[in-house]
Amino acid sequence: MLKALRNLAFATAASCMALSAIAPAHADTTLKFVSWQKDEPGVMDWWAALVQKFEESHPGVKIEWTKVARSSYVDTMTTLFAGGTPPDIVHLAAFEFQQFANNGWLENLAPYFKEAGIDLNGWTGQSACEYNGETVCLMLLYTGYVMAYNQKLFDAEGIAVPTNWDEYIAAVKKLTKDTNGDNIPDQFGTGHDTAGGGSQYITEMMNYILDTGARFTDADGKVTMNTPEMIEGLARWKMVVKDTLTPRDLPSADIRQLFSDGRVAIRLDGPQIWPIAAKSPNAADLKLAPVPFTTPVGGGSNVLGMAADISDENKKLVWDFIALAASDEMQSAYASAASSPAPSPRADMSEAKAKVEPFDIIAAGAKAASDAGIDRLPKGLEIQFNEFTKMVKEEAQRMIIEDLDPAAVAATMQEKAEAIQKQ
Amino acid sequence: MAQTNSERTTETFSGRPQGKSTWFASLDLARPSRRHWLGYMLLAPAVLLMIAFVAYPLFVSLDISFQNVGIVRFDQPRKPFTTANYEKLFTSPDFWNAVWVTVKLVVVVTTSCFVLGLGTALLVNNHFKGRPLARLLVALPWAIPEIIAVVIFAWLFDSSFGLINWLMIKLGLIGSPINWFSTPGAAFSAVSVVMIWKGYPFVSIMALAGLQSIPEDYYNAAKVDGANVWQRFIYITIPSLMPILGVSMILSMLWVFRDFSIIYTLTGGGPLGSTETLSIMTYEEAFGFFRMGYASAVGIITLVICVVVSRLMLHRAPENL
Repeated sequence: MLKALRNLAFATAASCMALSAIAPAHADTTLKFVSWQKDEPGVMDWWAALVQKFEESHPGVKIEWTKVARSSYVDTMTTLFAGGTPPDIVHLAAFEFQQFANNGWLENLAPYFKEAGIDLNGWTGQSACEYNGETVCLMLLYTGYVMAYNQKLFDAEGIAVPTNWDEYIAAVKKLTKDTNGDNIPDQFGTGHDTAGGGSQYITEMMNYILDTGARFTDADGKVTMNTPEMIEGLARWKMVVKDTLTPRDLPSADIRQLFSDGRVAIRLDGPQIWPIAAKSPNAADLKLAPVPFTTPVGGGSNVLGMAADISDENKKLVWDFIALAASDEMQSAYASAASSPAPSPRADMSEAKAKVEPFDIIAAGAKAASDAGIDRLPKGLEIQFNEFTKMVKEEAQRMIIEDLDPAAVAATMQEKAEAIQKQ
Repeated sequence: MAQTNSERTTETFSGRPQGKSTWFASLDLARPSRRHWLGYMLLAPAVLLMIAFVAYPLFVSLDISFQNVGIVRFDQPRKPFTTANYEKLFTSPDFWNAVWVTVKLVVVVTTSCFVLGLGTALLVNNHFKGRPLARLLVALPWAIPEIIAVVIFAWLFDSSFGLINWLMIKLGLIGSPINWFSTPGAAFSAVSVVMIWKGYPFVSIMALAGLQSIPEDYYNAAKVDGANVWQRFIYITIPSLMPILGVSMILSMLWVFRDFSIIYTLTGGGPLGSTETLSIMTYEEAFGFFRMGYASAVGIITLVICVVVSRLMLHRAPENL
């Protein structure tokens, strides 16, 4: 009996030793992860699956996933980094990571990609993550714009789906009307967010500016705003806003709701318009089509990176997280979650195509924008992006409020943009 | 003698005599000359907290305002001293525009809050049926969180679907909808209305408390002397309320100076800077353009303006100010 007990004790001790030997080296480690997408329909499920998968494959490692509202995201992240307590896993919008990279707060991921043998050739929008010769992030989503429209409103006016600017503006004018006779237009041909910040404002403007062939800067980062193409683009924007062909001073969320409610006939938007249209009571009438312009608006949406000021042990874990996000399996899942093509060229889109009816239209929009090298972030103005967008928004507003000549406005924008760039 | 005092102190605090004099025992707080030490000791936690959370950040802001710094990091060496931020500030049209907008807003909102607050306080101070409900309604805006109030007003002022435009058109006041948030004058008016709506109950509540503390005898004596309603208001009510109204005015003014959420949520400081106050400018420079040295300079100037105006309003401006 005593011998049996002794054997049992030995066996227990041996088991404990064996278990401790195979236990993870990162026992009881917590990685901090901050995101604004924790409760964003669609992608939040993808993030949750990614976190769960990572934790399952890394016993003892927990991800402390915290939501910070988009409106205060940059402030919060800046404070966290400046205070020396950055999140380990860094999630940022594609137009804001440059400031963090510029301060040396983001780890260069190039050696990690190289060591893991992850091929980023053909990874949509990844070139935007190359900053000062370093790969500071992984592009998670690059989107192109599509045209969402209300077929019922089109049919009521006998309008065909527009395929160019002239058809588009004619349709928009015809669809804008006062339906209840109270002298206030309550149905709008199109809907633009003119209440948001400078970044959103210039994105809305770009729908018309890109069609004329205008660009804010050229491939070398030189400001190219005082051009006939830009003047034409500004004139189009002025017409749409000043003539109240769009509701004024409403944010994107409200514009999308009005589109869903049948009060806005056309909405030029990213793929995020589709889940809203699909859930609308008017879903049967809401359709997607390619934008009726030569080049759709496009650009990186959000990126994943690693804080530079964390321990080497945590860096290894964060890299595992990023590598998992870049895996074919998770990239395929991302396409379904985001209703948009995943950036990975190896992602399997079949599930997304089955789930999202107009997936091919969305994918074509992203491809057209990507092929044309479109990005909301003008080259050469990455660091001064917020100041640049504020300036463009103010000058465009001045053009509308004071009824200024678009040619004069383009000249002013050119001068001010050059001054901002020289700072 | 010192030894004797020390021993007595030890006895007082511990309840039993101790042979050796310790530092704690030497704190003879019973001595008349040291009684004030107890006051300092009791104040110390609050003072230390004030130093940690008010004085130190203020000092850091002042220090940063004299550096050409983008994003502040305390693990980085201090940047060289410079007055460039202040030089840039005083030559910047944006700064002077923000000062002008702030002053306009302070005058419009504080004056309106004063008039409306005093008026409603006088109204609900009277005896009438439904007075408790009226008092509740007067105080209600104060209880509603700012952000909720702003969202409601944003919809009320919406140019296409808002109630305000609809009402004004129905009443024949305007012919076509006003773009409340994309016309400079209209945007300033909209912001002012929301701030007045949110701010007047404070003055009203304070004034009501003051009104209830005025002895009825004053009014009775004035009536006997033949004073009419207006004279009683001018010569009794207003002077009696002045201490309360003065403090309320200063607090309202400081609230308008520092308010951020109403303006930022409603207009973001636009259009064309028509609602960009100093607090909006500070935030934008710090977290929009990442110029924290410059933003700190704006913040310091705002603080100085607030201090000067407050002191002048209290009629106690020190000689050296």
